[in-house]
Amino acid sequence: MWLSILLLSLLAGQACAETVVKIGYLAGLTGDLAAYGQAEVNGAKLAVEEINAKGLIPGVKVELVPYDFRSKPEDAVIAVRKMIEQDKVVAIVGANVSAANIATAPLVNKAGVIQIGTATTNPLVTVDEKGQTRPYSFRMAFIDPYQGKVIAHYLFKKLGVKRAAVLYDVASDYSQGLRQFFTEEFKKLGGEVVADLGFRGGVDVDFRAQLTEIAKANPQAVMLPNIGKDLALAVKQARELGMKDTIFMGGDGYGEFMWEIAGPALEGTYWVTHVAFDDPEIQPLFARYREVFKDEPKEYGNIVLAYDAVMLLAQAMKEAGSTEPAKIKEAMEKGTFKLLHATIKFDEQHNPKDKDAVIILCKDGAGRFHERFRPVD
Amino acid sequence: MSSLLQQLLNGLSLGSAYALIAVGYSLVYSILLFSNFAHGGFLVIGGYICYYSLTKMGLGLLPAALLSLAGAGMSAVLTERIAYRPIRRRGALTLYLLIASMGMSIVIENFWVIAVGGRFRAIPPVIPTSPISVFGTTVSSFDLIVLAVALSLLLGLELFLRRTRWGLAIRASSYDVRTAALMGVDTDRLVAIVFFVAGALASVSGIFLAVRYTLYPQLGFITIKAFVAAVVGGLGSLPGAVLGSYLLGVLEMLVAGFISSQVRDIVVFLLLVVTLLVRPQGLLGRRLEEKV
Amino acid sequence: MSWEYLQGVLVLFLVNSIAAMGVSLLTGFTGVFTLGHAAYMSIGAYALAIGMGRYELPWPIALLLAGVLASLVAYLVGVPTLRLVGDYFAIASIGLGETVRLLVENWQSLTRGARGYPGIEPFADLWVVGGIALAMGLAMFNLTRSRFGRAFKACRDDPLAASTMGVDTTSMRIVSLVVSAFYCGVAGALFASFMTYVQPAMFDLSKSTELTAVVVFGGLGSMSGTILAAAVITLVVEAFRGLAQYRMLIYGLVLVTTMVLRPEGIMGEKEIWHLLRGRRG
Repeated sequence: MWLSILLLSLLAGQACAETVVKIGYLAGLTGDLAAYGQAEVNGAKLAVEEINAKGLIPGVKVELVPYDFRSKPEDAVIAVRKMIEQDKVVAIVGANVSAANIATAPLVNKAGVIQIGTATTNPLVTVDEKGQTRPYSFRMAFIDPYQGKVIAHYLFKKLGVKRAAVLYDVASDYSQGLRQFFTEEFKKLGGEVVADLGFRGGVDVDFRAQLTEIAKANPQAVMLPNIGKDLALAVKQARELGMKDTIFMGGDGYGEFMWEIAGPALEGTYWVTHVAFDDPEIQPLFARYREVFKDEPKEYGNIVLAYDAVMLLAQAMKEAGSTEPAKIKEAMEKGTFKLLHATIKFDEQHNPKDKDAVIILCKDGAGRFHERFRPVD
Repeated sequence: MSSLLQQLLNGLSLGSAYALIAVGYSLVYSILLFSNFAHGGFLVIGGYICYYSLTKMGLGLLPAALLSLAGAGMSAVLTERIAYRPIRRRGALTLYLLIASMGMSIVIENFWVIAVGGRFRAIPPVIPTSPISVFGTTVSSFDLIVLAVALSLLLGLELFLRRTRWGLAIRASSYDVRTAALMGVDTDRLVAIVFFVAGALASVSGIFLAVRYTLYPQLGFITIKAFVAAVVGGLGSLPGAVLGSYLLGVLEMLVAGFISSQVRDIVVFLLLVVTLLVRPQGLLGRRLEEKV
Repeated sequence: MSWEYLQGVLVLFLVNSIAAMGVSLLTGFTGVFTLGHAAYMSIGAYALAIGMGRYELPWPIALLLAGVLASLVAYLVGVPTLRLVGDYFAIASIGLGETVRLLVENWQSLTRGARGYPGIEPFADLWVVGGIALAMGLAMFNLTRSRFGRAFKACRDDPLAASTMGVDTTSMRIVSLVVSAFYCGVAGALFASFMTYVQPAMFDLSKSTELTAVVVFGGLGSMSGTILAAAVITLVVEAFRGLAQYRMLIYGLVLVTTMVLRPEGIMGEKEIWHLLRGRRG
């Protein structure tokens, strides 16, 4: 019996005279954002499985090489070095944390290896501090300035909000960035920011002091440029303080698990995100996720971005007809890629051009797709 | 004006949470003369036991709470037995105890991270949070409950210390452990009781914090603020710990509300530094003299 | 195993060693338990970033500035707090760590806040860092064997006896703190250059704890033990990247088990050459 298995695998080995190309995955598998990182790697694994099973890149098999960067940029630097030098990857997907990609950008660009961030929204990921585009850095998500603009336009034009307050995380670069871009755009449209208060993310869980002061300023909406747990706690505490009719809107820090913490307080809140959970195109992917990983795709945004990022690389490789990073990069810069959650075309700064933002409205216990929105000047 | 009252009430609620932590911590310090950095861990243990009792075992609030207290208390005793007693026996420097306690705090926190994941869990809303009107401002009934429970427990502790034999033994040992031992106090047993009480009190705070916010392994971080409260009030003095806690809670809320929350943390640590400079024994503590 | 990758790991090890030597002097030799030394690394890192970025200082000067600035802050902090008993200082050191982080996050016009400071010149390659580590290591070894070293140990073992013998324990502690801060400041600056990007979140409580764990594991009172421990921990962490989840847990266990089972750590109070010399007579 063993002999026949051995024989079969030898034969199979002979048949596969294909190139194996390695794609690294930089994921925060431990640390604060572990849930997102794990989901991303799973999404990427599904993509790789599909690419290999369907032979999407002729003559090429893809191998995924995931590394944990512990949600810390210094570990990202070491991990990326290993991926480049030891595993000889042609491209790296991830991370979902801008700081990691900013730190690793000089490395990947010097080595000529593509890095495509998933949910990284800080402009510095693809453009250096002097304003020049980094040749090998790309990203899947729209950037913070765009997100801030989306929220400002949606609140002002769609929901008729003229007076808004902001509660942001001083310790987070994401939160600071989003707050800045929102405030600038909102004021440009003619809105008034009546209160602008901060808290220390990771340490603070009680925002009642700030919310009490915000309530005093009587805003129509409160903008929350934060992540997950902080968002849930802020909304919950605000409602408890009596802010029943205030509109709450935030960015892509939203996660379904927030319902566990905030419960019905979340009803009626708006969030900007990259992917709509009830998008019919994506359901097959979620079905496969449940089947393979026996778990609910809770961090669905990250899963889809990861899956699509790998698929994008595959499409680019096919178009370029090569597995060399330089050629793949060229194909990425020129091409239009039809993916599961959107069609992506990169602009000069290697950011997706004119990507629709998905607006979620929380209703009946879940975040539901409300509409696609693009700010028009 | 109502905003001021609101912040004051917020502060008293926060202070109650601190008080339950600070008192246990100060109790341990008064006997063993070292800061148990693992104290926050007992808080987290209490929270998780309560969560699992309520959700997985379907117990009511009271049994779940009692289980948490017992569990946290036992963990505290265990921690002492495994990590601290061997070092104490050897008569080693306080430095070693500090390091070991730091280690235990990390072990406990990360044990939970690995065992149950960093996900945030919500404790079922078994404690009502409906708003009540008090003196013209809205207050969550939760805050009033916390205040009531904290004060009753603290009163209970005070009675225990003043009216029971073990309480007497503890008070005696807080002056001089060695002499108390000479007078017939079973030091090991005493330390175990002290740790049990400290752990149990911390777990009550843990339950409140978990219900109010959410449950996650790093919930114990708040203990650092309780440490500051204990120092400000006077390390080793229980009334001091309580006083320091409420002072700190109110101060934090007032600063965060009327100035900014960033300044708040700086103010807290400035308070610590000023206390250490001007009156290191804290408000109600005793002046520590080293005898040769 | 490629050279580039190995270089990266080595640089990280050397940077950690420099910082660990500083903490070793303060905790191992002088007996002052600190949980906030990452703050000095942060000060050093930002001093370098801002010095080179905004003021265009050449890196040797910026590096020196990093160490000096950290020492200055340490002095200001140390004078009031080192009079006190161990626990107080430990808590105050946590407070310092948090305060420095707060300042960096909020002084955005200078530090760019939580967004971090990018574009730092990567002058810290293996040769530069290696050279600096060597020089600072030799200086440290000399210090610990001098009369200062003996005074530090006296402060640790029996401060009361030491003061009756005429040792100004408070001053000695302050000196120890200032030197340790200098080392951490330089380490932080080198780290910043290696990463080319710094964020306040990089220098948090877990970083301070790592440093203390290394010193304890190596042996309180042995400088070579500290360096050995830094090597072991850096290499183990790299080799077992898969164990990343358990990393903090392992640090905690290292601390507890070392204290309970073998408080002398690896080397106790001996330095490596004591072992090599063997026994005599």
